Amino acid sequence: MRYELVAGLETHVELSTKTKIFCGCTTEFGGSPNTHCCPICIGLPGTLPKLNKEVVRYAIRAGLATNCEISRISKMDRKNYCYPDLSKAYQISQYDKPLCKNGYIELSNGRRIRLNRIHIEEDAGKLIHQKGDTYVDYNRGGVPLIEIVTEPDFRSVDEVREYVEKLQLIMRYIGVSDCKMQEGSMRCDVNISVRPEGQKEFGTRTEIKNMNSIAFMAKAIEYEQERQIDIIESGGSVQQETLRYDDVTNTTSSMRGKEDANDYRYFRDPDLVTINVTDQEVEELEATIPELPDEKLERYVEKLGIPEADAQLLVKYRRVAEYFEKASEGTANPRTAANFIIGQIFRTIENESAKEEFDIPVSAESLRELIKLLDSKKIRMNLAKSTLDKMLETGKKVSDLISEKDMGGLDEEATKKLCQEAVDANPNAVADYKGGKEKAIKAIVGYVMKNSRGKADAMKAEEIIKQIIQ
Amino acid sequence: MVSHEDVIQIARLAKLSVKEDELEAMTKEMQSIVDFADAINNAPTDGEEFDNINNLSNVFREDVVVESYPTEKILENAGDKADDCFLVKKRCL
Repeated sequence: MRYELVAGLETHVELSTKTKIFCGCTTEFGGSPNTHCCPICIGLPGTLPKLNKEVVRYAIRAGLATNCEISRISKMDRKNYCYPDLSKAYQISQYDKPLCKNGYIELSNGRRIRLNRIHIEEDAGKLIHQKGDTYVDYNRGGVPLIEIVTEPDFRSVDEVREYVEKLQLIMRYIGVSDCKMQEGSMRCDVNISVRPEGQKEFGTRTEIKNMNSIAFMAKAIEYEQERQIDIIESGGSVQQETLRYDDVTNTTSSMRGKEDANDYRYFRDPDLVTINVTDQEVEELEATIPELPDEKLERYVEKLGIPEADAQLLVKYRRVAEYFEKASEGTANPRTAANFIIGQIFRTIENESAKEEFDIPVSAESLRELIKLLDSKKIRMNLAKSTLDKMLETGKKVSDLISEKDMGGLDEEATKKLCQEAVDANPNAVADYKGGKEKAIKAIVGYVMKNSRGKADAMKAEEIIKQIIQ
Repeated sequence: MVSHEDVIQIARLAKLSVKEDELEAMTKEMQSIVDFADAINNAPTDGEEFDNINNLSNVFREDVVVESYPTEKILENAGDKADDCFLVKKRCL
């Protein structure tokens, strides 16, 4: 029998506001333990939380960028549970009136993953377990989060992966979070069940908590899917439980079963008043949403004529897209800038997170300057390429590397002279060529290119060299 | 109606222990609390959505960093502490 995966995702995204959700402590990542804390965020009795306005604005923007309805009336609730990562024994969250609801994210296969809701809440502290004891650091406690909850709409691991990447990208584009999974500013819980293909009813689901890498998440879902199918195939039934994924052994293990299912006893937080959002505020925030990755991709392909695979590489990183747009502005063909970025600049960048930062020594303006020299045929492509390499290496500007005399191609007379020189200087290559080794001519052309500092026309030079030799 | 089982369950969630001979009294007390809440729930509000007595909404703070407390102050009331952290011994969890 064939089985179908049914999965839903809850994603926690840390907002990049300057301060925590209910107090003025910094949200900066790291720091010595318990140095970003105050009586409010360590939950001392008698303190009064006050909602950070920016958190509401960020969350609404996240909702607008994911096609959500924005609630005009919203409130905060207490989610009660007893665990040392929350000293108050409750987390301030939103229960029945979340800020955003009924959104969706569209995948490349055309399927829409529906978003049930996006709500705001406080993050918990960090627990460090050591020799049976637990050390608690509340620096992260009270950092604002949004929780983005999907409907059980995923039918494959690939869909989950694409969704997470897309969500990450959207959040980065609108600047509400850096979404660094390895630093925990984006974390996912996945609900998983399987059912025989064609069956309407959902199977019993399990939940895997707190996964902080897309690769591990994909592995965990695959593992859990197989585990559930094995249980069903061998005549058993899947137990509803919460699981922990171990990325070392690539297995899931039970954290708690259904009987210990959390009973959060949500109720309105009496310390925090209603949040009213006006139409005008929503409109104002709507106006701050930049062009999103999907729209950008379409424009690059349709309007700018960038091949889709290349366009995808450009929009994948917000800073790269910005750089590309600046560098190609006013140039003859945007593909030139795209090719330089993907072909040459990317090669100097080691990993994904460095591409994300895109902190390179060549400014977009400098690259544009170089492209304009190409456009106006003042320099040739090979000189442009070698110059860009030097710019990337030294951080120097175009004008420092290319002088007036380098510009303008070599005239025929000068090219002939250089070609003669090249033939004289490479007797071995000439002999090889005459002996039938066609490729040997490249060495002679290379000499010309080198000594003309890339200004000569390589094809023309080859022609002249052949004439001289024969 | 609040049952003995409700009390045991709530005590368990709050990590409190309840002795057998306290159960009956606690159940009654909890029932009276629920009754009190019900009285509020049943108060006539003329169908108007009632929020809070002061009709307050949108009490916000600006996103401006304020200096945090020194770690010693934060840990001042901790039962156990080590390495600038609150320390929770295994038996508590």
